[in-house]
Amino acid sequence: MQIQDTLKKIAIVGGGTAGWMTAAALAKVLGPHYAQIELIESDEIGTVGVGEATIPQINIFNRMLGLDENEFVRKTKATFKLGIEFVDWDRPGQRYFHPFGPYGVDMNGVSFHAFWLKLQTLGVNDSINDYNLQAVAAREGKFMRAQAAAPNSPAGKIAHAFHFDAGLYARFLRDYAQQRGVRRHEGRIVDVQLNLDNGFIDAVVVEDGRRFEADLFIDCTGFRGLLIGHALGSTYEDFSHWLPCDRAIAVPCAKVADPIPYTRATAGPAGWRWRIPLQHRTGNGHVYSSKFIDDQAALDQLLAGLDGPPTAEPRMLKFQTGRRTEFWKKNCVAIGLSSGFLEPLESTSIHLIQSGIAKLLQLFPDRGFEPADINYYNVLSAEEFDFVRDFIILHYRITQRDDTPFWRYLRTMPIPDRLQRKIDIFESRGRIFRENEELFNDTSWFAVMIGQGLRPRGFDSVASSVPDDEVIARLANIKATIAQTSRRMPTHADYIRDNCAAENEPA
Amino acid sequence: MTGQEIRSIVIAGGGTAGWMTATALSLLLPKTAQITLIESDEIGTVGVGEATIPPIVGFNQMLGIDENAFLKATNGTFKLGIEFDGWGAAHRRYMHPFGSYGTDMKGIRFHQFYLALKQAGVADLGRLEDYSLCATAAYQGRFLRPEGPVGEVLSTLKYAFHFDASLYAQFLRQRSERQGVRRLEGKIDAVELNTDTGHIASVSLEGGAVIAGDLFIDCTGFRGLLIEGALNTGYEDWRHWLPCDRAWAVPCAAVAPPIPYTRSTADAAGWRWRIPLQHRTGNGYVFASEFISEADARARLLANLDGEPLAEPRLLKFVTGRRKLAWNRNCVAIGLSAGFLEPLESTSIHLIQSAISKLVALFPDLRFTAAERDEYNQQTATDFEHVRDFIIAHYKVGDRADTPFWAHCRAIAAPQSLERKLALYRHRGRLVRHDDELFAEQSWLAVLDGQGIEPYGHDPLVDALPYDQMRENVGHIRKAVGAAAGALPTHQAFIDRFCRADAAARFS
Repeated sequence: MQIQDTLKKIAIVGGGTAGWMTAAALAKVLGPHYAQIELIESDEIGTVGVGEATIPQINIFNRMLGLDENEFVRKTKATFKLGIEFVDWDRPGQRYFHPFGPYGVDMNGVSFHAFWLKLQTLGVNDSINDYNLQAVAAREGKFMRAQAAAPNSPAGKIAHAFHFDAGLYARFLRDYAQQRGVRRHEGRIVDVQLNLDNGFIDAVVVEDGRRFEADLFIDCTGFRGLLIGHALGSTYEDFSHWLPCDRAIAVPCAKVADPIPYTRATAGPAGWRWRIPLQHRTGNGHVYSSKFIDDQAALDQLLAGLDGPPTAEPRMLKFQTGRRTEFWKKNCVAIGLSSGFLEPLESTSIHLIQSGIAKLLQLFPDRGFEPADINYYNVLSAEEFDFVRDFIILHYRITQRDDTPFWRYLRTMPIPDRLQRKIDIFESRGRIFRENEELFNDTSWFAVMIGQGLRPRGFDSVASSVPDDEVIARLANIKATIAQTSRRMPTHADYIRDNCAAENEPA
Repeated sequence: MTGQEIRSIVIAGGGTAGWMTATALSLLLPKTAQITLIESDEIGTVGVGEATIPPIVGFNQMLGIDENAFLKATNGTFKLGIEFDGWGAAHRRYMHPFGSYGTDMKGIRFHQFYLALKQAGVADLGRLEDYSLCATAAYQGRFLRPEGPVGEVLSTLKYAFHFDASLYAQFLRQRSERQGVRRLEGKIDAVELNTDTGHIASVSLEGGAVIAGDLFIDCTGFRGLLIEGALNTGYEDWRHWLPCDRAWAVPCAAVAPPIPYTRSTADAAGWRWRIPLQHRTGNGYVFASEFISEADARARLLANLDGEPLAEPRLLKFVTGRRKLAWNRNCVAIGLSAGFLEPLESTSIHLIQSAISKLVALFPDLRFTAAERDEYNQQTATDFEHVRDFIIAHYKVGDRADTPFWAHCRAIAAPQSLERKLALYRHRGRLVRHDDELFAEQSWLAVLDGQGIEPYGHDPLVDALPYDQMRENVGHIRKAVGAAAGALPTHQAFIDRFCRADAAARFS
């Protein structure tokens, strides 16, 4: 009764986070009898994955796979994440927090933040962070998962993501995928063979001459884009005039205190440094622009900022910010860095992989490879990259920093029209519209815009129709509830110890 | 406070658009803004029997309107969908129901399973609409508001209303006036602009009264007295896509209890609507004057009524399209002044309501910054275009080419946005919703399937499941829908119990 020309064989070229996430998802969704899935990777080729920070959407992916969260946290030496702290972005010495989950509660159909803006004009001067449980708990080093028993209190809606060791995550998913029938082959790709009639990929060939044919190829070869770029010629759209950082140095260091439940991003003279706490160590990195600083100085800055002794040799990565013009071409879909690169300032790398997989499943092909499906995949993917790109540009754009040539360039460069429109609308009345399926919602935009010092000239008129004393009373109430909830939460370290400590961690 | 707040709002024109706007603004804006609505009893409003779509339920709730009281006051009935008769091909009929079809499984849309089974030659599947509770209940003349938790079959009921638009306007007028809106009787005969800014400074009424304001809402209908007459904003003409440009409207006596759906019947050079109210039935004929004379169209409408006509037919002329800027300077056009799309999918009231929501979300102050206005105009253009594409799909897709009008429609070059959608559906029955468009996947499915597109294939992921199990699940769903529909009260019984109007017709 199977009347369609379904795929019989799928080859995933490249392991790493992208390769194994794709393998695990396809194995789970397609089941054991649909198609043979092969993954070809080489132990010689290092993967980029270091300490990775994620956003809450990863929970959807893990749930789809049916993972046990405690087991996943233990196996990847993960910690929990409630948001990102940005240090020195608006000006040296200033810091702000971009939390997960919404601020307060919306009232009368108007975003909560409109009421907070109004409150600031009524003689109350407080921090927007006080209205977000994730931000308050992060400040106090607290954590727990959303409490299903209290669905209507802030404790019932805690949004979290993870910091984990990406190498261990890939390893964890590799076991998962192999248990479900994915076959792994060791080998370095030396040739991609195209069909002379239709230009499709027929096979990839590894060093020892083994040849892997498939109906569908997933390119997870990283920056190189061996299949999508080299073999099929999908061009690359460069974003580096908006995002000039083009290198990163990564180094782990010893942990010197209990892990904090958030990522930190500290702006520097020609880039920014990440700090990602894991259970057993801390991941660090420096993303910078080689046009504005040399590699040695960048390394020195990174090492000077570590809070423990480095535990490995620093590794340097070169990249070009941008994306493919075609993410899916012929019978090849690029997932992961082969599809494009955006610096991890908002921890979107893993999300972009996951979203590539979700779109592939939404538009899953058979051997007919419908152009309509492929086109739509490409439209959606380009849009997603562009939305994230705009959000990242925002961090560089709205700043008072003009202390180095790097910041002077970023402050004054032309920006995409859509981003300019968002900034204009916000400056006018503090309004934010989420466009289409944009990844970052209005909480995120508000956190960064306010955090980096943008102040609207007014606030929403509907908020002004609520009497002043009512606004003061309601907001005081929300703030008190959140403070109280955070006080009752366990510390992040205790929570991990009691639920999901990695095996080599002293309990 | 900035001292830049809008203090006075002038709404030019009553009717549905004017009073919906007045009610919402007087409820949502600070009391410091004085709202004045100017209307003339001499000028007829277009409002006839109006059919709506489900978002109106939320709008009424936001305004704090008791639904039963509103239906009683407007001779309203419930609506579970629209039946299209003769659209894809002569004599073919289908329902575009609200609510969903079947149950999604494993993250895959229900209709993909239906398609796969159909393509595999399974014979006893029935029609797609057999899997929609709204469609099944509608055909049986039954109605109930949704109940039960998500996942239960009764929770898939979704509804809107048919009502008398002028009674709705009256109903809203009472509420607005209670909320402080000032109504002025009079005809606007001049609009004065501020010579520095080009903004509207005031409007003058016959007899000399001058009404000044900070913000003007143009609800003057097709004419666009302010937005076009005074501000010369410009209009984008869409008749090359949608050639109908006239409508005859006439009420007739009800001859049977009201059915819970709108009917749209394709005709030689357009289509006829039928909207059941509690006391009578609204009818109309939307047509293209290039293909049929006004007199012939009128005759076709009258020949197809199912009861005695209750008034002289009224003729409306329109140009399908949209105002280039729905918000220009200090004037926002809401209702027909902002644009016109034929009521094939009952979107007129929705476009008003969505304009009001956008205006509230982007409410200006005296500085009238470009950022807000541009955002409003961009969102409005997108809203209109989405509805336009959906309406074009009804004309473009299908086999009818039996009259010059239908042959013309078949050959229309569709906008690119629509072509992409059609291609995705034709190949594997895929439906994609983009940009928060009003009509969701289920609506497109109803129409594309109903108009007769048979996709070549289906989602290949469906083939990961065993067909026998799929067939069993699908069979269960159909039975559950049929059983649930049969147990609902009749539409008339439901109305009699909750919201029977004083004027309701009696049937023995």
